[in-house]
Amino acid sequence: MTQPQSHSQPADTQWPRWEVFKQDAQGRPHQAVGSVHAGDPQHALLTARNVFVRRPAAVSLWCVLESDILTATPEELTTNPALLGTPGETGTYHVGVKRTNKRSMTFVDLSGTVQATGSGDALRQAQIMHPEVLAWMVFPETVVVRTDEDPGTVESWFAPAKDKTYKQQQHYGVIGRHVGELKRAGLMPGRAPSEDSA
Amino acid sequence: MTTGTQALTDTQTQALLLKLTVLADDEIVVAHRNGEWTGHAPILEEDIALANIAQDELGHAGLYLTLAQNLGGSDPDQVAFWRGPDDYLNTRLVELPKGDWAFTMIRQFLYDTYEALWLEAATRSTYAPLAEIAAKAAREEKFHLQHTALWAERLALGTPESERRTQAALTELWPHAAQLFQPTHGEAELTAAGILPDLNAVHVRWTDLVTRHLTEKCGLTLPATPDAQPGRDTHTEHLAPLLEEMQSVAREYPTAEVW
Repeated sequence: MTQPQSHSQPADTQWPRWEVFKQDAQGRPHQAVGSVHAGDPQHALLTARNVFVRRPAAVSLWCVLESDILTATPEELTTNPALLGTPGETGTYHVGVKRTNKRSMTFVDLSGTVQATGSGDALRQAQIMHPEVLAWMVFPETVVVRTDEDPGTVESWFAPAKDKTYKQQQHYGVIGRHVGELKRAGLMPGRAPSEDSA
Repeated sequence: MTTGTQALTDTQTQALLLKLTVLADDEIVVAHRNGEWTGHAPILEEDIALANIAQDELGHAGLYLTLAQNLGGSDPDQVAFWRGPDDYLNTRLVELPKGDWAFTMIRQFLYDTYEALWLEAATRSTYAPLAEIAAKAAREEKFHLQHTALWAERLALGTPESERRTQAALTELWPHAAQLFQPTHGEAELTAAGILPDLNAVHVRWTDLVTRHLTEKCGLTLPATPDAQPGRDTHTEHLAPLLEEMQSVAREYPTAEVW
């Protein structure tokens, strides 16, 4: 339900894009963490697990086809108010808000659901409920593909990652002595002069 | 699962050491083959997925080799990096060159199914340390299996080209898979003692599962199973170069203290 493309584009040979929403713990909101390309819903979920639940804890994953999502920033709504008329089925819509740019990964938090007559209507309600945000995102409940909640899935999809320590790169050992140790011992060559002046 | 650790006889210890090495060798070699896709997989997401799977398999090898070390075996790094092709006991299934994506996915499907079923059975080992690591690895393997089962299906039912490649991969790999079910020296005694899973029972379940998935769901044709396979000490010409590359860093820096 993004805007129909009026200008011609080169043929897209990629699989469709799915936005991935990860829930870190029960009771926490699902957050948009990134996207995957996949051929079908099950493939999207499996891929999302591999890409986004390798180390960090998670209890649930959702995937939503990018074309089922309507997003807008306040600036976009000002220049293109027609976005509020974007059609869609009547029903339950998820509302996501992006509140900050402070982190390197700026997540969209799903803040709840609204009853709407279409994507544009859901966006209008999102704007009223959350006036001071960087961006809104809405999509119908019916398009969400989600992981099963059975113990088997939880155990094989989410439990292994939980037990693995997430290590920063510098915690991994290296062949021979660590570079920090070599630096302290004065065994590392200095920077090239051009880099120093840069 | 038992809570206490059963005391092993010397004969049992030797047999278990061998079996743990065999299990680790398959994991190490298949992990290396999967690692060869890093930077080359069909899409970025699968590049990440397969690298993750390879890391998990290496992790399982680490579990087996650490257990072996606790039983009096050598240091895991020593076992992995300082044995040559004559000493490695992996199956030929895992050492064959990575081939195309269909080859890699069908191999991984055959291997993951075996591993998932074996580990599930091993969680009931009367030897608690083995039961514990099996429980840990089994849950990862379940997910691997879902991943590769999905790929086998998508490739087999994809385009005529992907179907052709998938069938060709299965035809080439199938005879080698039987090698996974060759018992090691002394394994029968360990099975009788409840320490190791019954490999024959695992084989029966494996055949049923892969046959149903590959023929009924994927519409592929299973080739005939060979009557006999060479032992795990007989390798193709592909293992030596694989080990040479895998062990090159360790052998270049033999005195490295930190990994």
